[in-house]
Amino acid sequence: EEKKRFSIQRLNKHQMAAPFTLRKIGVPPNSANLTEARRRVFDFFRAACRSIPTIMDIYNLQDVVAPSQLRFTISAQIRNNAHVTDPKVIDLLLFKGMEELTDIVDHAKQRHHIIGQYVVGEGLVQNTGSKDQGKSDFLKNFYTSNYF
Amino acid sequence: MGVGILASRAIRPASRLVRSQPSNLFLRTIVSKPELQSPEAAAVSQPEPPKNQILPPRNPVGGARVHFTNAEDAIEVFVDGYAVKVPKGFTVLQACEVAGVDIPRFCYHSRLSIAGNCRMCLVEVEKSPKPVASCAMPALPGMKIKTDTPIAKKAREGVMEFLLMNHPLDCPICDQGGECDLQDQSMAFGSDRGRFTEMKRSVVDKNLGPLVKTVMTRCIQCTRCVRFASEVAGVQDLGMLGRGSGEEIGTYVEKLMTSELSGNVIDICPVGALTSKPFAFKARNWELKGTETIDVSDAVGSNIRVDSRGPEVMRIIPRLNEDINEEWISDKTRFSYDGLKRQRLSDPMIRDSDGRFKAVSWRDALAVVGDIIHQVKPDEIVGIAGQLSDAESMMVLKDFVNRMGSDNVWCEGTAVGVDADLRYSYLMNSSISGLENADVFLLVGTQPRVEAAMVNARICKTVRASNAKVAYIGPPADFNYDCKHLGTGPDTLKEIAEGRHPFCSALKNAKNPAIIVGAGLFNRTDKDAILAAVESIAQANNVVRPDWNGLNYLLLYAAQAAALDLGLIQQSAKALESAKFVYLMGADDVDVDKIPKDAFVVYQGHHGDKAVYRANVILPASAFTEKEGTYENTEGFTQQTVPAVPTVGDARDDWKIVRALSEVSGVNLPYNSIEGVRSRIKSVAPNLVHTDEREPAAFGPSLKPECKETMSTTPFKPVVENFYMTNAITRASKIMAQCSAVLLKK
Repeated sequence: EEKKRFSIQRLNKHQMAAPFTLRKIGVPPNSANLTEARRRVFDFFRAACRSIPTIMDIYNLQDVVAPSQLRFTISAQIRNNAHVTDPKVIDLLLFKGMEELTDIVDHAKQRHHIIGQYVVGEGLVQNTGSKDQGKSDFLKNFYTSNYF
Repeated sequence: MGVGILASRAIRPASRLVRSQPSNLFLRTIVSKPELQSPEAAAVSQPEPPKNQILPPRNPVGGARVHFTNAEDAIEVFVDGYAVKVPKGFTVLQACEVAGVDIPRFCYHSRLSIAGNCRMCLVEVEKSPKPVASCAMPALPGMKIKTDTPIAKKAREGVMEFLLMNHPLDCPICDQGGECDLQDQSMAFGSDRGRFTEMKRSVVDKNLGPLVKTVMTRCIQCTRCVRFASEVAGVQDLGMLGRGSGEEIGTYVEKLMTSELSGNVIDICPVGALTSKPFAFKARNWELKGTETIDVSDAVGSNIRVDSRGPEVMRIIPRLNEDINEEWISDKTRFSYDGLKRQRLSDPMIRDSDGRFKAVSWRDALAVVGDIIHQVKPDEIVGIAGQLSDAESMMVLKDFVNRMGSDNVWCEGTAVGVDADLRYSYLMNSSISGLENADVFLLVGTQPRVEAAMVNARICKTVRASNAKVAYIGPPADFNYDCKHLGTGPDTLKEIAEGRHPFCSALKNAKNPAIIVGAGLFNRTDKDAILAAVESIAQANNVVRPDWNGLNYLLLYAAQAAALDLGLIQQSAKALESAKFVYLMGADDVDVDKIPKDAFVVYQGHHGDKAVYRANVILPASAFTEKEGTYENTEGFTQQTVPAVPTVGDARDDWKIVRALSEVSGVNLPYNSIEGVRSRIKSVAPNLVHTDEREPAAFGPSLKPECKETMSTTPFKPVVENFYMTNAITRASKIMAQCSAVLLKK
C-alpha cells in the first residue's frame, strides 16, 4: 500500500506545492460519442477501485467495511445514472465523480463523511440489522415519526 | 398651524402670485367650492346617473341565501339603483345586505334584538328629511335607498368622530387590535382627522370573572353584551347604568358572569372593552394560524377555529354553523385549551419493578405489550375507548380486540345492556336546529345547561321566540329560562306515562312536543323500564310522526355516538372484574378500583389523568387538536377534526398505535393507512364516512320489544357535578380550575 500511495504521489509531484493535489488523470471535458464516454466511465471505475486500499488506510475503515462493499457502493452509484445517454452529461457526471474521489483520496474529507455517505446509507447497514428485518413499511415509519 | 403660512401667502398681492406662478409651484391659494361646504350642496352638484343603466349583478353579502317564507310577500326596493326583492319584514340594512352592500354598524347583530343606538348604519333614503338608521327602519315597497351618497358618508364620518372622541388611545395595548371593528370602520368610513381637544372621560373597570377582561373606558355603549346576556344566555346580568356620557355597562352589584356562555361576549364586543382574560397580551391576531376544526368537550360538536402560533394553541374561536352551534360556544370549549399544554404524555413508559415509570422507546413498549397479550386468555382481554376517542381509533381497537378473540370492547359511558341496534334510541332525532320548532319540552333526567350548553342555548332561543313550555324531571337545577319542576324521579315519569299528571294535557295539546332524555339514564339498572315509559309517553302524545320526531336522547361524550354506531357496547357486566389485560384508550372515567390488582393495564392517551396511575405501560397519543379524526355528535352529524398543532414529543395518533401494536402482536389488520381505516368504517357504519352530513335514524320505536321490568324509585341524579371539569383536558387546565373555584354556583 505504501508503494501504491508513493506511485500515485509521484504522478502528481509537479503539483506537490499545493496543499491539496489535483489528479491529472482527470476527465477531459469532451467525449465525442457515447462509446468514448463509456470508456471513460470504466476508466473512472477502475481508478476508484484502485484507490480503495488507500482510502481504507487513510480513514481506518478496516473494521467497518470490506473493500468489496465499497466497490459495490461505487458501482451502485454509477449504475444509478445508467440511463443517461448524452455524452456531455456523462462527462459532467464523471467530472463530479472524479472531484469527489480526489477529495477523498487527498484526505480532504473525514471519517464520518465516508462512513455516513458510503458505508451507512439508507439501506446499507440498517438492512443487515436483525431488528427490522421482517417488519412492514408501516411499522418502520411508525417508529420513525408520527407523520407518514 | 396649517392655515397660517399658506393663507398669509395667499393674501399677498395677487400680481406677485400671477407673475411667479410657474416657478413657485408649491404656492397655491386656498379655494373652496360650494360642493365642499356641505353634503347637501355636494349632492346637488353630482351628475345624475344615466337612466336605464345596465347594472352588474350583485350577490348578497357573505354569500347568504334569502329565505322567503311567503312567495307573495316579497317587496321590491332599490339599493343604489339596483332593484332587489326582499321578504316583507326585512329592514333596510338587511335589504342592502341582500343587494351586496355591507353597511357599517356597531350595535346591530343579526342574532340579537335591534337597538339602533350607534347610528353608524345611517343611509340616505329618498324623500326622507334626514338619514335613517337602516338597522331599525323596515323596508317599504318602492323605497330608494342610497348608501354611497355624500350625506351618508358625512353621517358615517360624523358618527365615527363622535365615537372616537371618548375612546382611549389604547390600540397598542388593546387585544382587539387587528380585529377591531372600530379600527376597520374608522379606516374605511371615518375622516382623517379629529377635532377633539378636551379631556377624555374614563370609566372604572368591572370584575366579571376569570374569563372576561373588562376595560370599560373602551366601551362605546353599543349594548350588544347586554342584549346577548339577556336574550341568548338567558341571564340578566349586564345592564346600562347612567345616561349620556356617563353611561356605564356593568352588573351594578358586585356579581361575576357565571353563565356558561359568558365567553361569547368577547366575540360580540366590537371594541376591546370585553376581551379574553386568559388570552390577554398573549398574541396579535395576524401572527396566528387559524385551523377550522371541531370541539370534543361535549357531544354537540361545536364548530371552532383553533388559532395557533407554532406548536402552541393560543385561543379558540367559534365558527358559524347554523345547525349546531350558530355563532356561540360554551366557556368550556373556549377556554380549556391551556389544558393541552399541561400534564402531557410524550414518551412511551413502562412501570419498573419498583413502581416508577421509566421512559422507553416505542419498540420496547410495543414489544412488551405484544408479549403480555399473548399470555392472557382471549376472554380476559378488555378494551375501553375514552370519551374523546375518534371513530378511526375505535374501529381499529375493536378490530384488534375482536381478532385477539375477545368481545369485550366498549366506550366509557355505555353501561351494560345499552344496545346499539336501533339508532333512534341514542340520537337526538329532531336534530339540534329542529328543536326550534318544538313548543313543549319535557326534559327527563338531563340538565342540558351543563351537559350540552349549545342544546340549552337552542331551547332558550325557542322559549324566547315562541314561548315554548319547558318542564323537567330530575334533581332541582338552575335553568336560564322558565321551566316547571315536575318531580325528581321515575315516579313522576310513571304518572305522566299513565296520564295522571297535570302536565299530560300540555303534552297532548302541543303541536310539536319534544322529549329530551339524558344519557345518564343509560347507566341505571332499571334503564329498560324508564326508556319504555318514555316511549309510551311518546306514543300517547304523537311525539314520533313522519313529519316530526320529538323523541331525543342527549349524549354526554363526543365519542359516544360514533362508538354506538360502530358497535362498541358492553355485553357482560363481569368483563372488567375478571380481566387480566385491560387496554384503556383515553378512558379516564373508568372506575379504577374495579380493575383487578393483577391485571396488566395499558393506558394510551394524551394526558396523565386518573387512569394513568394504575397503568403498567403508557403509550402517548395525540389530542384532538393534533389529529385528523371523525366525530359524530349527538344528533348524528358527522364531522372531522383537523390537526392544528404538531403532536407533543414522541406521541402518535391513536389508530396508528393500535395498528402497530396489532402488527407486533402478530394480528394482521387489513389496512395500514387512514383511507384503509375509513373504508373499513364504511363497511360497518357508512354514515361516519359522510362528513358534514346528518344521517337520521331509519326506524322508530315501533320495532322495540315490550319491556317487563319495573322501575325503581331512586330519584335521578345529576351526571355532571362540575361543568368545568369533565374530561382529561379540562381537568388539566388552569383556567378551568379558576372557573370552577370561582364561578360554580354553590
